[in-house]
Amino acid sequence: MIPILGLAIGVVLGLLLDPSVPLWLQPYLPIAVVAALDAVFGGIRARFDGIFDAKVFVVSFVSNVVVAGLIVFLGDQLGVGAQLSTAVVVVLGIRIFGNAAAIRRHLFRA
Amino acid sequence: MNAPAPGRPRSLGASLLDQVLAETLDPAYAQAAAARAERARAGGDGTAGEHGWLGRRRGQLLVALTLLVAGLLASIAYGQAAAGQEGREQTRSALRSDIADQSDTADDLVAQLEALTAQVSRTRAQALEVSAVGQHALDELAAAEQGAAVVAVSGPGLQVTMDNAPPAAESDPVGGSAEIAQAGIVQDGDLQLAVNALWASGAEAISINGQRLGATSAIRQAGQAILVDLHPVTAPYVISVIGDRDDLRNRFISTPEAKSLARLTKDYGVVFDYARADELHLPAGTGAELRSARPLDPDEDAATTDPGTGTPDPTPDGG
Repeated sequence: MIPILGLAIGVVLGLLLDPSVPLWLQPYLPIAVVAALDAVFGGIRARFDGIFDAKVFVVSFVSNVVVAGLIVFLGDQLGVGAQLSTAVVVVLGIRIFGNAAAIRRHLFRA
Repeated sequence: MNAPAPGRPRSLGASLLDQVLAETLDPAYAQAAAARAERARAGGDGTAGEHGWLGRRRGQLLVALTLLVAGLLASIAYGQAAAGQEGREQTRSALRSDIADQSDTADDLVAQLEALTAQVSRTRAQALEVSAVGQHALDELAAAEQGAAVVAVSGPGLQVTMDNAPPAAESDPVGGSAEIAQAGIVQDGDLQLAVNALWASGAEAISINGQRLGATSAIRQAGQAILVDLHPVTAPYVISVIGDRDDLRNRFISTPEAKSLARLTKDYGVVFDYARADELHLPAGTGAELRSARPLDPDEDAATTDPGTGTPDPTPDGG
């Protein structure tokens, strides 16, 4: 229950505060959101599988967001930003789909 | 995990894809669970919950914090996207209102110009009518204006229609836009051919989509649009011609230009049609551009001074 509350508070805070993101950070926001989504789905599936661990969740969340941002940033510097960002989004998307499918199996069979 | 078929070598790419598709859950979860189970077995029962790196409460709190950050990220990204959309919409509507304002100003100026031109003509006619030389000059001016397409005319004639080829039958009306082959689009050269042929066939006045063609009118293409005298005209192009109906038509269709346009229709599907018309009204063109003017010397007799407009010199040998 508390984690869901945290999510809700985060969304409300973001909508209320409406912070202005610095210009150089703006292109990485969508990638960060997708990476965060991947970590969250992974956590939910681990919960359903019964192997959820808070430390692993936190570390996976932070590292996903940071590494995804770093890869896209590196790609921009090298000049292959669009392709690398596509690759990152494709891989994260596959993982999200895999985890969502596992969650669905748990929800509708259990 | 997917095991390779026996005896088949695994390529590097295949194993990478297998891994991505199969290991969608972080293996760290399984490892942590295994480590917990190990500790529980080694440390006896009942103490597994409090032992370990994180107590249960602290764990929940950290997860909540992380989800808070996730929610923050999501709503900030949404806010950015919404603000961007709003900004673009504002820019678009500002540009639209700018265009509308400038169009209104241009229309006002055109109306003003027309009123002033009419006033000038009236004043000139009044000044010239009083003497025979002036009357003669006025008559020549009227003939010249007729030839320069500065007056509106009406009469019987011909209407020639040209249009882009219809889109190909197999172009997708649902998915994408209707594709017209590049060769099927009417170009400025085609319109020029038609207009030249019509002049040669005895046309007295020609207008394209309401734009009257004068002595110095240009038909040219700028990008995708065809411009007549700097006014854009769009397909279908209706060329209204005033002249002797039958004579005009017969002479026009026997010109080599008309034949080549008919070949265009056959080869590329460009629409080329003509029909006689009983009553056509062609608007006046924007003709005489004032190039030099000299104010009347108040001492001289007004009737004998040449007003000096830009129309062709109204002397007997000047024509």
